[in-house]
Amino acid sequence: MGKAIVITSGKGGVGKTTTSANIGTALALMGKRVCLMDLDIGLRNLDVVLGLDNRIIYDIVDVAEGRAKLPQALVKDKRFDDKLYLLPAAQNTDKTALQPDQVKEIVDELKPEYDYVLIDCPAGIEQGFMNAVAGADAAIVVTTPEISAVRDADRVVGLLEQHPLTEAPRLLINRIRLNMMQDGSMMDIDEITHHLGIELLGIIVDDDAVISTSNQGEPIVMQTENQASQGYRNVARRLEGQTVPLMKLEPQEEDGFWHKVSSWFHRG
Amino acid sequence: MQAAVLRGTQNGYDLVLKQSASLDQILADLRSLLENLNVDPTAMETPKVSLDVLTEDRILTADEKSQIEQLVGNYPRFEIHKIAANVMTIDDAIQLRERENVHLLSKVIRNGQEVAMQGDVLFLGTIHEGGKLRTTGNIFCMGDVSGILQAGYPDDESKLIMGNLVTAQQVRIAEQFDIIEPDQVADSSQTIAYVNDLHVLSYGKLSALKKINPKLYNRIGGI
Ligand SMILES: Nc1ncnc2c1ncn2[C@@H]1O[C@H](COP(=O)(O)OP(=O)(O)OP(=O)(O)O)[C@@H](O)[C@H]1O
Ligand SMILES: [Mg+2]
Repeated sequence: MGKAIVITSGKGGVGKTTTSANIGTALALMGKRVCLMDLDIGLRNLDVVLGLDNRIIYDIVDVAEGRAKLPQALVKDKRFDDKLYLLPAAQNTDKTALQPDQVKEIVDELKPEYDYVLIDCPAGIEQGFMNAVAGADAAIVVTTPEISAVRDADRVVGLLEQHPLTEAPRLLINRIRLNMMQDGSMMDIDEITHHLGIELLGIIVDDDAVISTSNQGEPIVMQTENQASQGYRNVARRLEGQTVPLMKLEPQEEDGFWHKVSSWFHRG
Repeated sequence: MQAAVLRGTQNGYDLVLKQSASLDQILADLRSLLENLNVDPTAMETPKVSLDVLTEDRILTADEKSQIEQLVGNYPRFEIHKIAANVMTIDDAIQLRERENVHLLSKVIRNGQEVAMQGDVLFLGTIHEGGKLRTTGNIFCMGDVSGILQAGYPDDESKLIMGNLVTAQQVRIAEQFDIIEPDQVADSSQTIAYVNDLHVLSYGKLSALKKINPKLYNRIGGI
């Protein structure tokens, strides 16, 4: 029986979808069977980030309303053999099209078939959030080192404590900018973790390559040498129960001479 | 035995409804009692009679109360001042105990959460920005507060808040509130927030408690 994990944040745009796609891909690369569920009804993105947007026939609302069977709606990611699937969100209905018990039913149907069901939660704490947590066993709370994002994460942790899942929520801090943390203009990792008082699952650096790879429909984890990719791989290993020390953040000399030289060779 | 008995007291009249009698019997006896007194204007000294209805060890339901009130209402000469019993329900007793005790609370109150208490609270937890702790009594705070504290909810200005308030977002007592600005209060765990005689939220030191709130000071053993 697999585990259902909801990826949530409260605040929008902090990287829930990016995180879902990358953790899912990293787990698939480790040989796990993963189903990604996009619950951002009306604003679906996960398909685009995975490069699967042109293959959608049915969506989760079709399944909930009986227009399609669950296996018909699942989109297979051919790059990973039989390991990675996506259950897309509906694009032309609103958030009220789904009810928590319908979502839970679908999650429960997926769990025996997969090692992980990762649920990409929409921003906010209303119906969409309720739907996304309904079938989950665990939660990853994503934040960035900004005060507004941390406040919203705090709100979400509070809600998760009021309706506890089987496992306590864990924290992922995304878009870390080492230079800003070092000069004190951003909250640092310890500060955020200590403030929220939940276990730290991982940290991901801010990297333009995350955006460009998302645009190409190829999650960053598919590159081996990238720091953000390393961060997501570490998270996947921790989910699998491995003990992986927190990544040491090295300032990357983006403008250095050798960086430029090597980037000439990496083009194309 | 009469089920409804009138007794003169120093401050007026007690109407005792016997606990051992049924309500029907009480209503019947009460009607004849009021009827008699009504026709005999000399039976009582005052033209208008205010009654304290005492139900002994019986708690009347709302419906039973209104039956009594209706009956008395038929005789304009009488009016009910209050209806009281010697006993209270367990629910009411718990409420009372909640109000009178100091409650220990040690938890994290997060953004958007509001914890509502009764009575005095000794707070040992943490309140995050956007979190709120409110109570009907005083708050003695040893924890870290980055959110909102409210004592004397909803309108008791005699309550106070004690503790380090320097990082709080807001302090409220009854309906008075303060948005805590930097440097507004001392960075000290001995701060007391209270409402002064002019109904203004003010801040003092623990050492001045005797002056600020003599009643509380006496209650907790100061001389
Ligand atoms: N580590 C990172 N470095 C750089 N850019 C990032 C990183 N993580 C996410 N982004 C970018 O931030 C933007 C928002 O990310 P994403 O869509 O994953 O957020 P979200 O939380 O799912 O948003 P929404 O609340 O709208 O669903 C995207 O353009 C994404 O590429
Ligand atoms: Mg998203």
